[in-house]
Amino acid sequence: MSKKVLVVDDDQDVRSFVVTVLEENQYIPLVAQDGVEGLEMIEKEHPDLVILDVLMPRGSGIRLYHKLKTDETLEKIPVIMFTGIALRSFLKSQKVLDEFKGGEVPKPDIYLEKPVEPEELLAAIKKKIG
Amino acid sequence: MSANKILIVDDEEIIVKLLSMSLRSDGYETVTANSGEQGLEVFNSESPDIVVTDIKMPGMGGLELLKKIKEIDPEKEVIIVTGHGDIDSTITALQYGASDFINKPVRDEALAIALERAKAKIAIREKLKEYTENLEIKVAEATEEIRRKSNFQRLLIKSSHDAIVAFDHDWKVVVYNPEAGKMFGEAAADVINKMTIDDLYTPKIAKIFKNLAQKEKQQNTLPWKENIINTKDGRKIPVKYTSNVLYKTGEFVGTVNFFQDLTEIKRLEKELVQSERLAAVGQTVSGLAHYVKNILIGLKGGSYVVDVGIAKNDTEKLKTGWKTIKRNIKRIGDLTQDLLTYSKQREPEFENCVPNDIVNEIIELLKDFVASKGISISKELDTGIGEVLADPKTIHNSLLNIINNAIDACIDDEDISKKHEVKVKTYMDKNNYFCFEVTDNGCGMDEDTQKQMFNPMFSSKGGKGTGLGLLVTGKLIEEHKGVIEIKTSPGEGSTFTIRLPYEKENTADIN
Repeated sequence: MSKKVLVVDDDQDVRSFVVTVLEENQYIPLVAQDGVEGLEMIEKEHPDLVILDVLMPRGSGIRLYHKLKTDETLEKIPVIMFTGIALRSFLKSQKVLDEFKGGEVPKPDIYLEKPVEPEELLAAIKKKIG
Repeated sequence: MSANKILIVDDEEIIVKLLSMSLRSDGYETVTANSGEQGLEVFNSESPDIVVTDIKMPGMGGLELLKKIKEIDPEKEVIIVTGHGDIDSTITALQYGASDFINKPVRDEALAIALERAKAKIAIREKLKEYTENLEIKVAEATEEIRRKSNFQRLLIKSSHDAIVAFDHDWKVVVYNPEAGKMFGEAAADVINKMTIDDLYTPKIAKIFKNLAQKEKQQNTLPWKENIINTKDGRKIPVKYTSNVLYKTGEFVGTVNFFQDLTEIKRLEKELVQSERLAAVGQTVSGLAHYVKNILIGLKGGSYVVDVGIAKNDTEKLKTGWKTIKRNIKRIGDLTQDLLTYSKQREPEFENCVPNDIVNEIIELLKDFVASKGISISKELDTGIGEVLADPKTIHNSLLNIINNAIDACIDDEDISKKHEVKVKTYMDKNNYFCFEVTDNGCGMDEDTQKQMFNPMFSSKGGKGTGLGLLVTGKLIEEHKGVIEIKTSPGEGSTFTIRLPYEKENTADIN
């Protein structure tokens, strides 16, 4: 059975790129435009993987990532961070949020900095969900 | 101390005894001697306050005793007892400093009076001495105080970081401290009491201070001002200076000039500006690179989607990919346009236009997009504005930019419980400017964003902003002699106001 992959990104261009990569490789693409919509979609569809942008309106990727990793029912869903933000800045923001909310969230195990070649993105997806 | 000890000297023992008894009964302490020599001895050992001596005695007489006593201590009072009306002896006794005379036979009252007078003299002398000593101490203290103060002042002037130069009423230099030496390059020894203001300063600077002194008719300290002084050896020194015009009982007595060398401060200021400029350039370049990178991401993604469309002969894919590419080509176009607008000086092109119509056009343009984001947009237009002479392109571009920013501020707001709205208002202000006010209740700006919002390539919108929008708007408004004002509060929203000078429509055409 094909696996469901959710793309959360406010940039239409990025969404259509990732969706095409997913379609080309027999995954079922799901899309959301911001953090809030992303969470709704995750709760509803329980995707096998989330590809998550960091800078978005309405609940940033950092916030959504934090939410996922602190929710018992959702923490097992693998996440690929896919963003124009340097990893260093992301980790710094994540640390701030950790301190603010208490507890510590694991670092994202795959972090892709845009721009990314389709092959690179596919390799990352395969690594997580085959 | 009251004088109480009396030495009685007489060769007749009985007289000595009688006098002694009489004085003791009056409360005096007495010591006695029966000859001049013995008298001197007792005087030395007992140190009496008053001596009463017979003038005629075998051996050392009264006069000689008097002389010797006065040599030892001129302040002791000696009363001479005479029995002869001997004028010569009296004169000699006076010359030696006798305090009084009484005649033999000694009557108690006469002696009492003489003693009282002698005591009074001693008392006066002691008082006088006390006063004199006090006065000396006081004078010494005052002198010390003055010396200390003047030393302190001299030290202050000497070690001051300000160059201090003072002139007397003839404009001759009387004070010239080491800092002044550094500033004007002349040795103090060649300046003080030798040069006048015209020798020391260049004519321009000398004139400033002379004029100041002439203008001020009373003692006054002038406010600090900045200027550049040219020294006689050709250096240019930026200084802050002030001058004190000195008056003493209405008479002009001179002036004191203070100079602060600003060379170092100016250098640091320049350095700061330079480093700020470098930082701005760095930020500009990195901001631009970031934005171009985002366009590149779009183009790469789009071309991948197009490739897939071609390979599969999938028209939908082709359309999607092509749209992405076109969108990013437009972004490059917009960026180029913004860069050009920002870098070129442009004169506004004035024509008759109706500001309210421009607002309506823009709202019409954005209506659907705004609605799709769940934001409401409202307007409140002052119909009194009517037609004005202005550049409609400036108004259109600037207004579109700040309304777009207001919409973005609503979209980016993390507080999704808010009912987001953008309000556009036009009105005339009291300074005869027509104004556009755009208010949103979006995310607002933190202090850092506020500081940087007019910096080139600074964007708070991640990769989606060029960081040129407000910059270009600010420039357009400035070229139009207008102002842009911002009120913002993080989490509560912002208000941007554009004020443009109100010029009535060009009525010449109508007539």
